[in-house]
Amino acid sequence: MKHLHRTCLLALAALLPAIITASSHPAPVQADETLTIAVMNDQSKVYADLSGQGTVSAVRMAVEDFGGDVLGHTIKVISVDHQNDPALGQTKAAELYERDGVDAIFDLPTSSVALAVAGVAAKDHKLAFVVTGGTDALNMDRCNKYTFHYGYDTYALAQNTGRILTENGGKKWYMITANYAFGQSMLKNFTNAVVSAGGEVVHNDMVPFPNTDFSSYLLLAQSYKPNVVGLMNAGDDTVNAMKQINEFGMKKSMQVGIGLLFESDVAATGPEYWSGSTITVGSYWNLDEKTRAWADRYKKMTGKRPTWVMMGNYSAVTQYLNAIQRAKSTDPDKVIKELEGYKFEDVFARHAYIRAQDHLLIHDMYVATIKPASQVKEPYDFFQIVKTVPGEQSYRQPSQVTCHL
Amino acid sequence: MTPSYLALQIFNGLVSGAFYALLSLGLSIIFGMMRIVNFAHGAFYMLGAFGAYLAAQWLGLSFWWALLLVPLAVGLLGIIAERTLIRRLMPLDPLYNLLLTFGIALVIEDFMKIFFGTQGTPYAIPAGLMGAVNLGITAYPLYRLVLVAIATLACIAVWFAIEKTPLGAKIRAATENPTLTQAFGIDVSTLTTLTYGFGVALAGLAGVLAAPTTNVTPVMGSDIIITTFAVVVIGGMGSIKGSIITGFLVGVIAALGAVIYPPIANTLIFLLMAIVLLIRPTGLFGQPEATAR
Amino acid sequence: MIARAIGSDRRTMLWLGLIALAAGLLLPHVVYIGLATDIVIWALFAAAFDMLLGYTGLLSFGHAMFWGGASYVTGLLILRAHWTFVPAVLAGVVGAVAMAALVGAVSIRRQGIYFAMITLAFGQMLYFLTNQFGEWTGGQDGLQGVPRPVVFGHMTLENDQVFYYLVLALTALSIVFMRRVVTSPFGQVLGAIRENEPRAMSLGYRANVYKLVAFIISAAFAGLAGSLFVIAHRFTSLDTLDWHTSGQVVIMTLLGGMGTLFGPLFGAAFYLVINDRLSTLANASNPLLAQFGHSPGLVLGVIFIVVVSVFRRGIVGELLNALRR
Repeated sequence: MKHLHRTCLLALAALLPAIITASSHPAPVQADETLTIAVMNDQSKVYADLSGQGTVSAVRMAVEDFGGDVLGHTIKVISVDHQNDPALGQTKAAELYERDGVDAIFDLPTSSVALAVAGVAAKDHKLAFVVTGGTDALNMDRCNKYTFHYGYDTYALAQNTGRILTENGGKKWYMITANYAFGQSMLKNFTNAVVSAGGEVVHNDMVPFPNTDFSSYLLLAQSYKPNVVGLMNAGDDTVNAMKQINEFGMKKSMQVGIGLLFESDVAATGPEYWSGSTITVGSYWNLDEKTRAWADRYKKMTGKRPTWVMMGNYSAVTQYLNAIQRAKSTDPDKVIKELEGYKFEDVFARHAYIRAQDHLLIHDMYVATIKPASQVKEPYDFFQIVKTVPGEQSYRQPSQVTCHL
Repeated sequence: MTPSYLALQIFNGLVSGAFYALLSLGLSIIFGMMRIVNFAHGAFYMLGAFGAYLAAQWLGLSFWWALLLVPLAVGLLGIIAERTLIRRLMPLDPLYNLLLTFGIALVIEDFMKIFFGTQGTPYAIPAGLMGAVNLGITAYPLYRLVLVAIATLACIAVWFAIEKTPLGAKIRAATENPTLTQAFGIDVSTLTTLTYGFGVALAGLAGVLAAPTTNVTPVMGSDIIITTFAVVVIGGMGSIKGSIITGFLVGVIAALGAVIYPPIANTLIFLLMAIVLLIRPTGLFGQPEATAR
Repeated sequence: MIARAIGSDRRTMLWLGLIALAAGLLLPHVVYIGLATDIVIWALFAAAFDMLLGYTGLLSFGHAMFWGGASYVTGLLILRAHWTFVPAVLAGVVGAVAMAALVGAVSIRRQGIYFAMITLAFGQMLYFLTNQFGEWTGGQDGLQGVPRPVVFGHMTLENDQVFYYLVLALTALSIVFMRRVVTSPFGQVLGAIRENEPRAMSLGYRANVYKLVAFIISAAFAGLAGSLFVIAHRFTSLDTLDWHTSGQVVIMTLLGGMGTLFGPLFGAAFYLVINDRLSTLANASNPLLAQFGHSPGLVLGVIFIVVVSVFRRGIVGELLNALRR
């Protein structure tokens, strides 16, 4: 009997994939009845709090605000976890575009996945909007007609944070760079910005990626006595570096310029570690009346405040739907024409337009400092916007762009 | 680069090394006694860090209390895992327990993600230990000095317990020849359970020590597990002395790597491991593999 | 001892082979073609790994270096030097063989966990080097935009269906070859070495030579799989060299059943399908199911624990065992 029982269990286990396949496979949709939007990001690993489910909620809100349908098509939103695996992301993207009738994919953190999916979008002639992924390769040498880089890129971050800190007296910079494409791109752009503003980079450490212990590099940094320590990294690396900068008491004698930061990173340690540091963001939920009203509605829906890339996704979806409306068609080529160059304002993007040459969203960027803990009134209320910089001054000039779409 | 600066970097390397030593000590003890590669070691380290956080949040316990109590709690969890899952696979090839502990690590990690998310959970340096000490060349964090002191003391205490006490003698006997030891009336089975619990408790202790300076996330364990293995293998699996010495050694080498050529700093340990294994097949202080059981 | 290589019964193996082939032919109609291609490619990788683990008794933690290494060699040759299919794939396999010869020559004398750790060390070093030469390899962004090469100057591989059947054919042939190896006299010696190395040596067999050859053959087919991977995906990334990938193939082999050669095929399919389903499970209307979608590690970890604890011979292994009674 036990033998039979075991064999039955085995057979069941063996058929598990088949069962799951049959039960959860989304029915292929008719492209002319429904417009399907996919949000593809990391929902289970390191970027799950930065974007993840919060972004899916923001996208659903965008669809709801738009009215739930466009040109007679019902709008459907599905979420996909790419687990930061480019092979999985690519396969799912192809499946979504080719088999499930998905018209556009949004978000795409993790540059290697974003690039892979951008390739699929170009091949399948469907749209991809990269919001959280930051590599400038997306709007430079790996740009393509069907991909939009929407939200920020490493050049804009460097141009603002680097320039402002240098102009305000931070002439000597010590760089701590994560040794991967994103970190290297950040370093290159920051060095340009700092030198152009009259500063100098006295030293750079190409730190292995990922890395948890920065003590050796911080000790070396102290010996150089820089004005600014530049953190050319993101996520966990930035949090660890910052925690240890505080441990070494370095904030008393130097400023910290952080390449890329989100509200979720600050929450990892609490604001007191970050207060006084300077960053650049694409937007902020507590920026003005408009964003606050939006964030209140978002909080009603999810119970939390959004990170600024979640807002970016809301904006990207809204503009996509608007473009469909203007084009009077869901055909990707027509929608692309409507997106290019169209000037708009929404809760996330101000004085905004998508540049036709490289499909990069040009919009106001904001330089911010992190508030001291005493001024933080609620979770994610971490930033203090100190300057608004127009898109034309933040992003790469057209003459320097290697992409020509 | 001045000699005093170099000395500072080496000192800093010893500080990180003390931490590696403590972490790999538990892994080595478990391997020595049970012949299993405890892939869940990093997960228990992570639980130690979160334990410190929860001890503060739920029970209002200070860092010092956490240092005492959290390892015990983690050890208890280890004992439960050993009794329910690991013990069953002990008679089989160690590969099974290696894979089982890998599965356990996955489950623990994802379980924590559900409750704490992945961005990180705040844990600050205890108030009395903040600030820096003037070491002449530069200011050095007080907390790190405390960390190296605690970690080193723990390592010495463990070494002493295993090498010099009667209980340690029993453990060493059971490691070398469990059947004979059992025949002497010593309860090897309980000893094994306690050893596993003790080993992961050491990991938990390392976790508590790490919480103030490292981002406390569910993935912090899987980030260091491979390095920990490397330390144990280089030192010689099952050798307490080996793990401690190698831990410090690896810390210094990584620090020097960071000074001379940063990109390779985290890979040096693997280069070292390959070299050591080629010259001394069972690690620096390891015993030649006993006949398989 | 590791589960004895079971199912050496020729008829059972023939049936299994036919079932596997039938499954392979039907697969594109059941799942998305991209996923089907991945399944077959990983199945090849897992089978190659099983030849080393299940039949020779050697656990390698660095097998990703052959898979990933070959993918970069093939990818670079196609992208930068415009090589066609056969030369590029062959080059990938040769690359894997060369690496295996080098790594194997120095490591094969080590036993058990030490061998595993040495292979891990080499794997990590290759990862580091590939990232360091990021100018060439694309570093963390990956080697992107590798076009599908032409076969014999005429046949294009742009069509995913065509490519799938090519991959299926290559994999089937590889499995047959590996099967021949393990049932040959050479394979018998491998089995003897796995069971009791000292005794095999006392009979006059130079165990290290046999193990090295097995290591190289395993690496060659892992490399073949890696070469097909980069062509299938039109890119490769550092993930292919990461120790997690080495771990993944161990999991697949174990899920299916070590020492069965067909078990890993099933294990690969099982793992990839579940992983694929988990990535969209969050859309399920059932909230419990949706929660699993956000915790793939939990699901896989539990499955893994159950298989290791209860179905020790792996799912296929246990089924074969049950059928024998």
